Amino acid sequence: MKSTRATQEPAWVRYGLLTVGLGFLFFFLGLPLVAVFVEALAQGVPIYLEALKEPETASAIGLTIGIALAVLPFNIAFGVAAAWAIAKFEFKGKSLLITLIDLPFAVSPVVAGLIFILLFGSQGTFGNWLSEHDIKIIFAVPGMILATLFITFPFIARELIPLMQAQGKDEEEAAVSLGASGFQMFWRVTLPNIKWGLLYGVILSNARAMGEFGAVSVVSGHIRGETNTLPLHVEILYNEYNAIGAFAAASILALLALVTLVAKTIVEWRMKQETEMLNTVLAPEKT
Amino acid sequence: MAAKTHRVLPGFGLALGYTLVYLSILILLPLGGLILKASELGFGQIIDIALGERSLAAFRVTFGASFLAAGINAFFGLIVAWILVRYPFPGKRFVDALVDLPFALPTAVAGITLATLYAGNGWLGQYLEPLGFKVAYTPLGIVVALTFITLPFVVRTLQPVIEDIETEVEEAAASLGASRWQTFVKVIFPAIFPALLTGFALAFARAVGEYGSVIFIAGNLPLISEITPLLIISKLEQYDVLGATALAVVMLGLSFILLLSVNLLQWWTANRHKNSEPLEVAAAKASGVTA
Amino acid sequence: MSIEIRNISKRFGNFVALDNINLDIPTGELVALLGPSGCGKTTLLRIIAGMESADGGEVLFSGAEATHLHARDRNVGFVFQHYALFRHMTVFENVAFGLRVKPRKERPSDAEIKRRVMELLGLVQLDWLADRYPSQLSGGQRQRIALARALAVEPKVLLLDEPFGALDTKVRKELRRWLRRLHDDMHISSVFVTHDQEEALEVADRVVVMNHGKIEQIGSPDEVYSSPASPFVYQFLGNVNVFHSRQQGAYAEVERGEAAEKATAFVRPHDIDITHQPADDGLQATVQHVHPIGPVVRIELLHGSEIVEVELSRERHESLQLAVGQSVWFRPRQMKVFGADALPRSTPEKQAFLF
Repeated sequence: MKSTRATQEPAWVRYGLLTVGLGFLFFFLGLPLVAVFVEALAQGVPIYLEALKEPETASAIGLTIGIALAVLPFNIAFGVAAAWAIAKFEFKGKSLLITLIDLPFAVSPVVAGLIFILLFGSQGTFGNWLSEHDIKIIFAVPGMILATLFITFPFIARELIPLMQAQGKDEEEAAVSLGASGFQMFWRVTLPNIKWGLLYGVILSNARAMGEFGAVSVVSGHIRGETNTLPLHVEILYNEYNAIGAFAAASILALLALVTLVAKTIVEWRMKQETEMLNTVLAPEKT
Repeated sequence: MAAKTHRVLPGFGLALGYTLVYLSILILLPLGGLILKASELGFGQIIDIALGERSLAAFRVTFGASFLAAGINAFFGLIVAWILVRYPFPGKRFVDALVDLPFALPTAVAGITLATLYAGNGWLGQYLEPLGFKVAYTPLGIVVALTFITLPFVVRTLQPVIEDIETEVEEAAASLGASRWQTFVKVIFPAIFPALLTGFALAFARAVGEYGSVIFIAGNLPLISEITPLLIISKLEQYDVLGATALAVVMLGLSFILLLSVNLLQWWTANRHKNSEPLEVAAAKASGVTA
Repeated sequence: MSIEIRNISKRFGNFVALDNINLDIPTGELVALLGPSGCGKTTLLRIIAGMESADGGEVLFSGAEATHLHARDRNVGFVFQHYALFRHMTVFENVAFGLRVKPRKERPSDAEIKRRVMELLGLVQLDWLADRYPSQLSGGQRQRIALARALAVEPKVLLLDEPFGALDTKVRKELRRWLRRLHDDMHISSVFVTHDQEEALEVADRVVVMNHGKIEQIGSPDEVYSSPASPFVYQFLGNVNVFHSRQQGAYAEVERGEAAEKATAFVRPHDIDITHQPADDGLQATVQHVHPIGPVVRIELLHGSEIVEVELSRERHESLQLAVGQSVWFRPRQMKVFGADALPRSTPEKQAFLF
């Protein structure tokens, strides 16, 4: 840029801001991201691969994926139902409901874990009943699923509500007036319209589900090979001064984060493209 | 609305019913349980526990570090958002996507990585410690971890707002003789200030509850670098369920106040420049009349 | 299919959208619901379609109760203001939708669906766009696809919400004529909502003028234009020039007999004549501005402190040779007087202002 327009800062300001902003991002984002992989590979690839092959790491990966898969259908069902009710209908107390959906974002993960211990722990409200019936929730997988459900509760609904509000209900009404049943309307009209938004929410909630530490840590009991997810396993290895093992496990999670970012960017791009396509101003028709 | 009113679109009862039941079972009931448990203690005792020496120190560290981290992010986040919207530079899309890394990277990974980077022999620690900045295993480390974790909030709240500023407004200011700095202070900054505040509040709220990344870098010394979520867990591990509950309730209360102020802030941002509409039009709009 | 509307009322909170509406639409008629925004016309259309339910009253289709019939079962074709085309379906699939969602027993075969859809696309002259997506169409094309989609299920009634509102003037005019022809060919009842008086007068068999949730007048385009039933209709109907006359006040206060009732007279600008000679049934005024606009010449007269707008033909203006500042006399050829209660008064025999 050669000339300075009226609405542009002088060059030294621009370069100064670029340096400060990018420098900040480099030290706080770039360096840590690189460090994960460098630390993991610090003693060479073979040792890295060896660390990954450890049976406990493998079982932690399995449990992490298992929990994420278990949580997914609940989150999708809730997200779609809540967004449908909120975006397409008018009712009293709607804004309160929206605030309540956001509530888990305001709760510390540790508190989220604690509340399930208070309900289902050995001294909890349902503790006696559960032990009489030999059902284990706390320090077991069901408790971890509950904590993850709590933590990931708002993600999909938050993506879908504004999207479905923006789309309005014309298309659904058109489908109904053309004779479509509720199921046909949802399957043929609503779902195709929200698929990218839904996918976006799934990506975000999935990243959180796989990476959650605090809430899951509280209810897991840290039983190796049984209730250890990958993030919890990272902690155990790190506290045992097994840096290579910890960073090897961490590198899988970091890779997962990168995949999430790429997927998220692609979906964002698709969504943007769709809205742009819909807003295209067309030349007046000549018939 | 009268019961006979039928709705054209199907599924309202089912969708709302499912939403409310699921919300109640998963969120409201457990949170209610927490409050019920805390009520066993009574208000006085909760305050006593919260104001105990160790708890008070933990609150001070948690809120102090969160405030600092949110402040750092407000400052640098504004710059980052500004350059991402306004300046072209190579690799911009990559950098833009990377801003969300803290949302995607598990907190435990962030924790061990930052601890390693800032340790005395780490990439950054080896240069900082001779200068007198001991970061890892000190309260400063907590600030660093929280800065990382909450980095996207300010940037992501500001970006759309900066994009929405009409360049005509800036051109108008320039044509009226304002310098670029005056335009920024008098025209741009007031327009983005509510969003900046919202981003700050969101970052602060998230930082206060953060646990995973902090425990690795904090050193976790009681009274010095112990955060409240960690104190809750240690109380729980010592079977002091009531103590943990008391602290959790206090944190929950403070989080609610934060959430509420964020909501108010967003409502204010959305409404502050709206002219009051004629009553009739507003009523018609509120109920979705288009005729 | 005929439509009868009996005592329909609808409120949204405190806002009365429809206040005891009664309306009969005989089979085969093309009816316009005309009124300013917020007058309830779209709400009425949506109640006929079953998209909205009334608080009270009944809707009858061909004499049969239909008030609680679900929109799906009304056999009504609805064309949305913003078309509401299914954005992720091709034009073909959009039009085929209504056929594809029929219960299996009634559903036509794929070949039959293809034949019917292509026939409809031919009818709207857009068969060459079958594979496009709605976002690739122009506004006018979208509108016609929306129509074809609504017609695919062979509705008994066609309802259109502001069918030409979002289009530019030229396309709008073409589509108007086209809709009229289509309606005449299909032999169905059609109702469309519009806020554009020209559109209503040009296209419809009958015009229903609405305001504040009430029907002000029902009549043929000629009736509502030349004998408006209320001051509102008088002010709302007519071309742009009439609008001006309303706003700038071509009215006079009338005293009638001993009662000295206050009333308002409405005169359209083109119903005023100007003379140089004093007339005992006219008023004196000064010429303020002379604007030749296309085929007419618009004159602004100053009468007291009141501006009176007059429209003359070019010939008349040339014969008068008006100049700014000149003092002239003007008198109405035709006027309509309404009392303070907004009810029409018998127009004075002599077409003049009375004092």
